[in-house]
Amino acid sequence: MATLVLDQLDLTYPDGTRAVKSVDLTVEEGEFCVFLGPSGCGKTSTLRMIAGLEHPTGGEIRIDGRVINKLYPGEREIAMVFQHYALYPNKTVRDHFEMPLKALRMPKEERNRRIAETAELLHMTELLNAKPRQLSGGQAQRTAIGRALIRRPKLFLLDEPLTSLDAKLRLETRTALKRLQEDLQITTVYVTHDQEEALSLADKIMVMHDGEIQQIATSYELYANPVNLFVAGFIGTPPMNTVPADFVSERRDGIVRAEAFDLHLTEQAAHAVQAAAGDGRLVAGVRPEDLIVTEPGGERELGGRVTVIEQQGDEWIASIDVAPGTIWKVRTPRLDTDELQTGQRVGLRIRPGRLRLFDAISGAAVY
Amino acid sequence: MSAAIPANQVKHRGRRFVWYLPAILITAVFAFPLYWIGSMAFKPARIVQNYPPSFRFSPTLDNFRQVFDSTYPDAMRNSLIIAVGTAVFSVFCATLTAYGLSRHNFRRKDNLLFWILSLRMLPAVAVIVPYSRMVRWFDLQDTYAAMILVYSIFNISFSVWLLKGFFDEIPKEMEEAARIDGYGPWKVFTDVAVPLVIPGIATALVFSIIFSINEFLLAFVLTQREAVTAPVALTNVFITTFGVNWGGLSAAAMVLVAPVIVFAVLVRNHLLRGMSFGQLD
Repeated sequence: MATLVLDQLDLTYPDGTRAVKSVDLTVEEGEFCVFLGPSGCGKTSTLRMIAGLEHPTGGEIRIDGRVINKLYPGEREIAMVFQHYALYPNKTVRDHFEMPLKALRMPKEERNRRIAETAELLHMTELLNAKPRQLSGGQAQRTAIGRALIRRPKLFLLDEPLTSLDAKLRLETRTALKRLQEDLQITTVYVTHDQEEALSLADKIMVMHDGEIQQIATSYELYANPVNLFVAGFIGTPPMNTVPADFVSERRDGIVRAEAFDLHLTEQAAHAVQAAAGDGRLVAGVRPEDLIVTEPGGERELGGRVTVIEQQGDEWIASIDVAPGTIWKVRTPRLDTDELQTGQRVGLRIRPGRLRLFDAISGAAVY
Repeated sequence: MSAAIPANQVKHRGRRFVWYLPAILITAVFAFPLYWIGSMAFKPARIVQNYPPSFRFSPTLDNFRQVFDSTYPDAMRNSLIIAVGTAVFSVFCATLTAYGLSRHNFRRKDNLLFWILSLRMLPAVAVIVPYSRMVRWFDLQDTYAAMILVYSIFNISFSVWLLKGFFDEIPKEMEEAARIDGYGPWKVFTDVAVPLVIPGIATALVFSIIFSINEFLLAFVLTQREAVTAPVALTNVFITTFGVNWGGLSAAAMVLVAPVIVFAVLVRNHLLRGMSFGQLD
């Protein structure tokens, strides 16, 4: 258990590519932190710097206040699970568990005790003498986790550990992993590009893009209050609907005027836009689940024709052309809209307080 | 399960045979000289040179008796010592070199790799004079050491290339995981990397031994009495001014290939994977 601090962490490759740009992050004791972002965003590079496999070109990494930049990976009291597990075809499960203990020069009896204990924890006692070839995907994964946890690391690092599992096993393992982390209360950093994984596992999520932190927040915060257009577009399936729109001041409140419709703003929202002192060019955003299908409205009211309906169990995701070339997606429970049909004209209402506004130039959230 | 073999299976077997046929023919062409030498080794002296050759005869061990009564067994021992010495020394050096070349990038690495390979391209005749001068400078004429060093020049270069391919195949993660476990660079090499390239090492050893056992020209020039190898002795003992002792020559050749076959059989499981250039499980 430990606190991890990244302070102005920077990584520039010899060819000049700046993979990680001034990353500041604190992961509290026992916290489950997920690095989330598209591939090439710098999340894995950041993890590899924490592990000591990559050398930062600037900034500090501290565990419990101690700077570990210069330590070898083996001296950092960390453990890591790799994407493809990194198991050795010539070694048994027991050998894998024993490796970190041997490196610590632990006496034989203590090693055996720990191996038995870890095998028990992961339900692998029967498999200790098996080689990777004989293991299923899930068992191979548990071997990698056991090998990591057996040394009781201060910090547990995982690099996309679920990608090589099939869908059903991925869900089971996700749950098991979360429970294991909660039971052991071990500070964890987990890298993934899968937002569903991130949202369900994390106490705290760091969203990265182009080597930069976009937002550090809880699952719900990311979802409800994305700080910029990137996060808004990255989080949520389907992602947030957006449309370019201009702010028009009107008496007490205001409206945002898109190409084909106007959206009325609350007083608060209008104030926020005015306070932001931009040039009034915005991007309006609404999550698919915050739209309600209604009867078609009048001129310059939000609505359009249903182009596609995707059925997802008890939900429908309807695509609606709210403006020429702009398709918005609406997620709606099946019961509410039993009569919805392709080609039909509908109106849309935004749930109160769920309209989000971003600056059109910087992408930063305005309201 | 007997009489009723499904029709499609019969057809399948038939088709397989069609593919086997050329393979069997090609194998037969390559195996024939071996058969020929083998049969000559057991032929009585008076029918060895019969034409057309006699395929039916009562085998004799006379030829082998001649071989073991001559100086050939000494040469055989020399050959084995030199071959094993060369194999162990060159594969050891090559393993270290190949690992370094596989893991580190530096300027002109491609040039270095090509230079290493080019050592193997040299025809022995081209270097035989300088090598014999060098051996004399170091006062190593007619010694095992000289032969092992000279053969190693050829074998290290080949083994480096072979083993570099194997080391390149090891996923980076496998070594990184060991580093995080607390293994230092040397332990990562000995405990993680080397065990994973055992098939490559076995292959390199076999190739090296085959090379050394068969080599004639360098041995012919660089040895006189003490370190004479089997191929050289073969000519000394069985090709004389009185004619060629074909029976003895064949028997001696059989004795020469025996250790290579034994060794290849011993490591054949690794060899199969080695020949396919290191596909890991």
